[in-house]
Amino acid sequence: MKATKLTVLAVAAAAAMTLLARVAAAEDAAPAAIAPADAAEAEFTATTKCSWCHGPQGHSISPIYPALAGQKAWYIVEQLQLFKAQTRADPYARGMMWGMAAQLTDTQMAALADYFSKQTPFASEPAPFSSSSAAAGIAQGKSIYNDGVAATGVAPCSACHQADAGGSDQFPRLAGQHASYLLKQLRAFHSGTREQVVMNGIVGPLQEPDMKAVALFLESMH
Amino acid sequence: MGQFNRFQLNAWYQRCGALALVLFGLLCMQPAQALPLFARQTGMACLACHTVYPELTHFGRMFKLNGYQLDNGKDLQMITDEGKQILALPAVPNLALFVMVGDVQLAKPLPDSNIAGAKSLSNGGIELPQQLSLLYGGKIAPHFGAFAQVTYDFSADTFNIDNTDFRFANTVVLPDKRPFTYGVSINNNPTIEDPWNTTPAFGFPYVPPEVNVPSVASPIINAGTAYEVAGPVGYILWNEQFYAALGFYRHAQNGSNSPGNAITGEGGPVDSATSNVISGWNPYWRVAYEYDFDRYTAEVGTYGSQFKIFPGGGNALAGPTNNYTDVAEDFQVQFIGEKNTATLKGTFVRENQSLDATGPAGLGTSNASDWLTYLSTDFTYWYKRKYGFTEGYLSTKGSTDKLLYNGGCLTMPVTKCTSGGPYTSPNNPALAVGVVNSANGDPATNAWVTEAMYAPWLNLKIVLQYTHYTKFNGATSNYDGVGRNASDNDTTYLLMWFAL
Repeated sequence: MKATKLTVLAVAAAAAMTLLARVAAAEDAAPAAIAPADAAEAEFTATTKCSWCHGPQGHSISPIYPALAGQKAWYIVEQLQLFKAQTRADPYARGMMWGMAAQLTDTQMAALADYFSKQTPFASEPAPFSSSSAAAGIAQGKSIYNDGVAATGVAPCSACHQADAGGSDQFPRLAGQHASYLLKQLRAFHSGTREQVVMNGIVGPLQEPDMKAVALFLESMH
Repeated sequence: MGQFNRFQLNAWYQRCGALALVLFGLLCMQPAQALPLFARQTGMACLACHTVYPELTHFGRMFKLNGYQLDNGKDLQMITDEGKQILALPAVPNLALFVMVGDVQLAKPLPDSNIAGAKSLSNGGIELPQQLSLLYGGKIAPHFGAFAQVTYDFSADTFNIDNTDFRFANTVVLPDKRPFTYGVSINNNPTIEDPWNTTPAFGFPYVPPEVNVPSVASPIINAGTAYEVAGPVGYILWNEQFYAALGFYRHAQNGSNSPGNAITGEGGPVDSATSNVISGWNPYWRVAYEYDFDRYTAEVGTYGSQFKIFPGGGNALAGPTNNYTDVAEDFQVQFIGEKNTATLKGTFVRENQSLDATGPAGLGTSNASDWLTYLSTDFTYWYKRKYGFTEGYLSTKGSTDKLLYNGGCLTMPVTKCTSGGPYTSPNNPALAVGVVNSANGDPATNAWVTEAMYAPWLNLKIVLQYTHYTKFNGATSNYDGVGRNASDNDTTYLLMWFAL
């Protein structure tokens, strides 16, 4: 129990530091307006290249790939920078996005992020084989999302990602995202394949059924 | 077990040993730099474009139809004083080596081509390499890309022009925000411009099961004119879903089939010395629709061609032609999961042959017109893109034509068939060896193809293929009139292919 409390404290401290750093960075560099030419180029790239995986207007069809519509712009820029620097290393990041982001300039990243953030958020379809077990999973996921897991000291997700999971200036949007993409990322945080100190700490004690439940719940949020 | 069989077994062990050595060497290779040309250009792993080579994913189809343009490396560039770009060359040449190593066993050895009653010394044999291709692929300049292959053919011991596809492509965004791609592919193999794996150029079977014994008939669109024609194919793609293509092919002077012009000594134009000369421009068309949902992509389509061919080979290139009209339907359902990928696909071709040149003249065909149908369908499953299997069924049916299919003619279309009767050996014309003819003139051939596959790396695939014929060249038993049965041509084929 003592160890669990320490973990929670450490995670909270790390989260606070990340938050402060991000707020400071945001203050240093207020988002510059996207030039019309850059916005047009970004829309063209998104419609004719990104769409091959991320779907029309960022509404990805295959749940292997995340929906980008309505995602926070700062988060998209941050991830593109991580892909370009090859420091986000989960399998699909490595196999696909390292290449795709390799030649993107900061301006192009900002314009692409701006484009996707302005698209109507993904309205997830109900799972094609939804069942009572899926409904039970969603209920369990809702409980974990809102209240955490007291026994293992898992903090409630809503504390950072907001009650509606719509994201904020510090945390990414999760609502309506494909469950299988979210699960893949939760597993990557859990195993450390995707390094992110806050999420590695929070997801560490989560068990597979808990991760599935949270992913299903988030997918069901519109 | 007799002396002969023991010898065979020893030879088999030796071959297995040799293959095992090669295999071991390859498995010890470091994979870090072992990604082929498109991966180098895009900076992406093979799995972006392929489930497992050569089957394309949706991303791979888009990459191909956009002219192999995605370029995530640094270009060598040149601009004019006015700022206009006149060079955008990939810094690393997009070259790759593609190697196939095969070993083949027939259920029953072929007869000796010189001595009546004797059998061939070894049954099959290692082909190291069976095929070795040098490939250039990817971006040449903005909007202009290529996939070009020069291949070493073991059996002919020569380098030949293989699949070649130069294409221009551009994509615009329509007012309703949907993408629209248009392009032109200049290529040498009808259906190679197509991005699905249902059409013949990149369709099943990827590895030909008829390694040793070709069946007597196949529709002309099924690689019947590959590398002997060339032409432009224009295409459009709307919203990554609807695809339409129209092209025209004409005879291309290429390789041993076209000796060129005897008067000038140059490569062309060809004359009556050349066999099977394709007359004028011949149309090819294709329409397909892809619907993507969840982890699935589903495609239905149709394609076809019409080829007019002069028999040539001593006959003037004038007058009527043999006309081959092919119409085909195809479908593909692809599932790509985190660990499991599965594909079910198939195509059905109907060919009408109006044999105006050879039919009435009795020049190799008994009938004035013939027909053929060809069905190919297969299911492939991969676990973690590492362990896979395929079960496929191939079926050819057609009209009975004694002279065409029993006259010693090996390939379609045919120019010179001598007489009805089993195929006689080129080495000993008095010896009727059969094997490749149909005694009853019926081309029907049915085969089950089973493959077990192992891909230790994304760019190295080992395939063990077994082909079982339930019917071959029109019959189950004694199909050639010399006593060979369909199942005698059952083939066990061990193949390794890798790209680097």
